Amino acid sequence: MSKIINLYEAKKNGVFQVTSVPDIGLLENLGLRNGTKVVVESRYALGGPVLLRIENTFAVAIGKDIATQIAVKEVVRQ
Amino acid sequence: MSHHNVQTDEQVLKKPNKILLMGNPNVGKSIFFTELTGIHAVSGNYAGTTVSFMEGPVVIGGKEYTLIDVPGTYSLKPTSEAEAVAARFMESGAVAVICVLDASNLERNLRLAMELTLYEIPIVYTLNMMDVAERHGVVIDMTQLRRDLVAPVIETVAVKGKGLDELLRQLEVVLKAAESSGYSCGKCEGCPWAAARDICNRACTRNASASPSFMDKLGDAMMKPMPGIPIALLVMALAIGVIVGGGELLIHFLLEPLVDYIIVPFFYNIFASLLPEGILLNILVGEFGIFVISFEWILALIFPFVLMFYVAFTFLEDTGFLPRMSVLFDNIMRKLGTQGGSLIHVLMGYGCAVPAIIGTRAATSRKERIIISAAIAFAIPCISQSGALIALLAGYAWWMLPAMIAFSLLLFVVVTLVVGKIIKGKVDPLLIEVPNLLIPSPKSYGRKLLTRMKHFLKDAQIPMMIAILIAAILAESGLLGIIANAAQPIVSGWLGLPAEAVTALILGIVRREMSVAPLLALDLNALQAFVGGAVSLMYLPCLSVFAILTKEFKVRIAVTIGLSTVVLAIFVGGLINQVGQLFV
Repeated sequence: MSKIINLYEAKKNGVFQVTSVPDIGLLENLGLRNGTKVVVESRYALGGPVLLRIENTFAVAIGKDIATQIAVKEVVRQ
Repeated sequence: MSHHNVQTDEQVLKKPNKILLMGNPNVGKSIFFTELTGIHAVSGNYAGTTVSFMEGPVVIGGKEYTLIDVPGTYSLKPTSEAEAVAARFMESGAVAVICVLDASNLERNLRLAMELTLYEIPIVYTLNMMDVAERHGVVIDMTQLRRDLVAPVIETVAVKGKGLDELLRQLEVVLKAAESSGYSCGKCEGCPWAAARDICNRACTRNASASPSFMDKLGDAMMKPMPGIPIALLVMALAIGVIVGGGELLIHFLLEPLVDYIIVPFFYNIFASLLPEGILLNILVGEFGIFVISFEWILALIFPFVLMFYVAFTFLEDTGFLPRMSVLFDNIMRKLGTQGGSLIHVLMGYGCAVPAIIGTRAATSRKERIIISAAIAFAIPCISQSGALIALLAGYAWWMLPAMIAFSLLLFVVVTLVVGKIIKGKVDPLLIEVPNLLIPSPKSYGRKLLTRMKHFLKDAQIPMMIAILIAAILAESGLLGIIANAAQPIVSGWLGLPAEAVTALILGIVRREMSVAPLLALDLNALQAFVGGAVSLMYLPCLSVFAILTKEFKVRIAVTIGLSTVVLAIFVGGLINQVGQLFV
């Protein structure tokens, strides 16, 4: 069982499963819900966002202050 | 610009026979609208290009309907002012809905579709961007999709007009049937996501051997700090080069000779042969004459820069470059108290403040809207004004233009920070979808550029002519001397400019570039040119901006911004002059 961390700490190129999200309409609308599988594609210095690929389809950038409120756990690649 | 005609929702909401164009942001709705109505809607490759709606007539089966291009939304639970429009339209009742689906993103798009079905309005689906889906290795079974949605699903390539005839045919069929027989869900658990996922899973086959195209790889690379940031800076530098260089070339080799040797002498000869010498002749073709200044300023000074700006901006907008900028520079914008997404509106503001301020409707918080609108009004020169500033500063040292750019950036930082401190509330952090990088379709690029130039000429002409008429009357009636005398302590004493420079302050009320253009004829020294440029940069946004600030926010905010710009312009302009004097 992998440890639950916040999305902002998630390492680049890792595959993660979302375990909890803050109540933000746009997050849900973009498909970021409990259970959503995401890949961290890029991270940015100086408090920049986290760039995710959601369910292998589209890219979403999430600002630091939201990313820290999203909990994820790493999915071990087969 | 089409955005300028923001109608009151109420009138359109009440219209009968509405057909709504709905879909996620950036799926190509505006292109459908243009193709079906012939009215050009400005689109771009990022979420939130249509922040208001557009309406136009469309004839189906011999009957006229009103087609409405609704702002893109991920859901009918709106998260911004722009998205709220979409929900209001569904509630107002419509005879049919065209739901545009992005094939490369089917599940999320179907989720909105599931919400739409709850209204029991007949829906025709169009499946756009199949080529992108195929490139990503997704194959969609149309028959299965039609069966699950219980509605017509048409494959379209909107930018090429493919599938539109079929769309009209299917619309005619559902309109005749007059009642929805479509899929209706929303009752089962986990809906609408669960239903969307089920339908998507049944219709899509994933092909693991998808090979990303060059544009996909470039698009991904441009999102990473390395090499994204160097590429972004290079693209910006190139864009500035194209705008300044292209504009100057057009002026020196084409427009200036045309105006000086052909157009102005032509009008001079006509009027001189009809009228005796005197005030009237001077107002028409004298040094500040309407037929002289209007061509010199509009055609040989402003227009070429406006053209080159939109040549570059429209291209960048259609490729998907702008949201990548938002991601790469979110950290800086966050430190300024806002977020990367507002960078798109700031860049739009370098073209014209009016669509930029309207564009901030896509922002999720009121605070962000006010911060960015104020920053645009104070510190972002529109392209008309930039053109005049380039002309003003070009005659002196090479560093004056970069110095002015640095000054405007500093001003932007200060205004953003200060307004962020004053306005209460919170700015929501960055949260955007980054679209695929695309090569703009030449057809829609050309059409958009043409529309923008037409709108510029149409919107700018009357205010410019009014400003020029005021200039001519002030100069010829002797009124200018009286005003100049009264304003001398400020204009000459504090700002160090010739007394006649007061013309710039008067005309600048009407349009931004008019606060620079009169300075061109005054034979200023380098310090005076810089002070004059800096004052005009900070000075009042134009009348249209004042009007849009009033409309979008409150009169109080518009007046506060207006007055503060004047006070700041005079105060800081004078400081630059006083400090500069010590070194000259």
